[in-house]
Amino acid sequence: MESVIDILESKFGAKRDEKAKWDACVVVPKEYLHNAVEFLKNDPSMQFDMLLDLAGIDYLTYPNHEGPRFAISYAFKCTKKPGSRVRLKVLVSEADLKVPTITDLYASANWLEREVYDQYGLVFTGHPDLRRILNHVEFVGHPLRKDYPAQKRQWLSTTDFLIPELEKRLEDKGYRIVQRSKEIMPVEEEYLEGSIRE
Amino acid sequence: MIVLDPNGEKVNLMALNVGPTHPATHHCVRLLAALDGETIVAGVHEIGFMHRGFEKMVERGTWQQVIPYTDRLNYCSAMMNNIAFCRAVENMYGIEIPERTKVLRVIVNELSRINDHFICVAAAFQDLGGTTPFMYAFNPREEIMLIWEKLTGARLTNSFARIGGLYRDSYDGFEDDVLAACKSVEKALKDLHACLDRNRIFLDRTVGVGKISAERAISYGWTGPCLRATGVESDLRKDEPYYDYETYDWEVVVGTQGDANDRLQVRLAEIEESVKIVRQALKRLAPGPVDIVDPRIRVPAHKLAYQDMEALIGRFKSVYEGIRVPEGEYYCASECANGELGFTIVSDGSGHPYRIKVRSPSFAHVSAFNELVEGLTLADSMATLPGLNMIAGELDR
Repeated sequence: MESVIDILESKFGAKRDEKAKWDACVVVPKEYLHNAVEFLKNDPSMQFDMLLDLAGIDYLTYPNHEGPRFAISYAFKCTKKPGSRVRLKVLVSEADLKVPTITDLYASANWLEREVYDQYGLVFTGHPDLRRILNHVEFVGHPLRKDYPAQKRQWLSTTDFLIPELEKRLEDKGYRIVQRSKEIMPVEEEYLEGSIRE
Repeated sequence: MIVLDPNGEKVNLMALNVGPTHPATHHCVRLLAALDGETIVAGVHEIGFMHRGFEKMVERGTWQQVIPYTDRLNYCSAMMNNIAFCRAVENMYGIEIPERTKVLRVIVNELSRINDHFICVAAAFQDLGGTTPFMYAFNPREEIMLIWEKLTGARLTNSFARIGGLYRDSYDGFEDDVLAACKSVEKALKDLHACLDRNRIFLDRTVGVGKISAERAISYGWTGPCLRATGVESDLRKDEPYYDYETYDWEVVVGTQGDANDRLQVRLAEIEESVKIVRQALKRLAPGPVDIVDPRIRVPAHKLAYQDMEALIGRFKSVYEGIRVPEGEYYCASECANGELGFTIVSDGSGHPYRIKVRSPSFAHVSAFNELVEGLTLADSMATLPGLNMIAGELDR
């Protein structure tokens, strides 16, 4: 594990994460994130072929915290070498919430990045379909941020329409939409009349 | 909607909503499918119908108060989740739990796995119209449920593990109950195999359906029985052993095709391996303490609080202030019934967890669902979903 950290330190200007006392974790500068992940995945000595998890962290109320407010922890593992794992961490400041996407490298990154976007409002540039995933389409704000009150309630009334996403999926597969069916066209007013929203 | 297909031919597609509450989705997941006749040409799916803010809720309580929340992740094998969570926190403390606790946790883990796999296989067959295997599987499951009742007082969302020990020691006659349950599990397995292995209807519906390659499954982050069905030998109990799993005599089960049938057969074979582990663990179950003695981590026993001042203080402080987990960040994963259940834990050294992120296996499995079902018929998509064993509790958290 030490060698992985050393290589990442020398190649991508990464730094060992002092907070990680029980597993291997390095902090990678945001601009090198995509390169570092690509290296981890494709280099024959690394072969971290599985992206397990993305965990957003908001350090707003963390005692004595210095540095950017947000962080994302990427957990990787290698299925070929049992027991080899590594975590990458990127720090994201409130002024610039953009993070490069890694959806082109791992299929699991698609939903995982959507979840971080949903819960923390971090924007993944280049993500093909950056929408909310766990929270409702009408939800305002990002609930896992430390300044979002846990007791706050929101009125949510419509269903997620999903037709634009379906059309995009069809177009990705080589289909071309000629005519949309009338029954499924959304009419905003109708939705709103049916709800009790003020 | 009218579309031109890749060959330039005009096709009339129907957009059909399957779910969120559809009998075959078991929980709440919505698939919007573009149908050409009966074939799904494209699909998008939506989750989050059971999102209840697990990760926000746990930040408000103490570390021990997280444990009952974890039961609601994969509620078909509730105790596995809290064992996984307690293990992560114990690793952060760097403590070694007593030998008896390890063995008891292994027994509980494996019985939970049997329960979970039985539900998955039984429900899958039920969805295809077979009710008999459901009954075969639910008889031994009921026996295990009765053990859970005696052990914890609850049937479904039972929590047994505590940080640094267990809720309590096992009851008198626990070993006999477990042995009897093992016997009926083996009998049920025989019946199930007789029902499924050479059943023409079942094989026609599941063999080659919902196939995924090993590379694609790895890219989607699949773990557990679903990944092993594609032929990848990956099991955390062997790869990164904990609770002495490496010293038990058992095999990792792998499939070959990665289709719906393999995912169910791998589960059935895993039940067999789990029974083996349980039988061996019962032989190792020696009397001894179940809790570590450290009032800063594990609350002193209730009866001590009436006689001993220190114990009273220990109980008071651990309830009101919570235990103080060392500051730092950690990712710890355990092999649960569905695959790798991981916890990314951020502790600021106070009595409350700063951040806990759950890596749930179902989330990875379901994210591949639309890719799996595209090209299949609508009926086949409902033969694919139960094999993934989607559990909304851990999917939506």
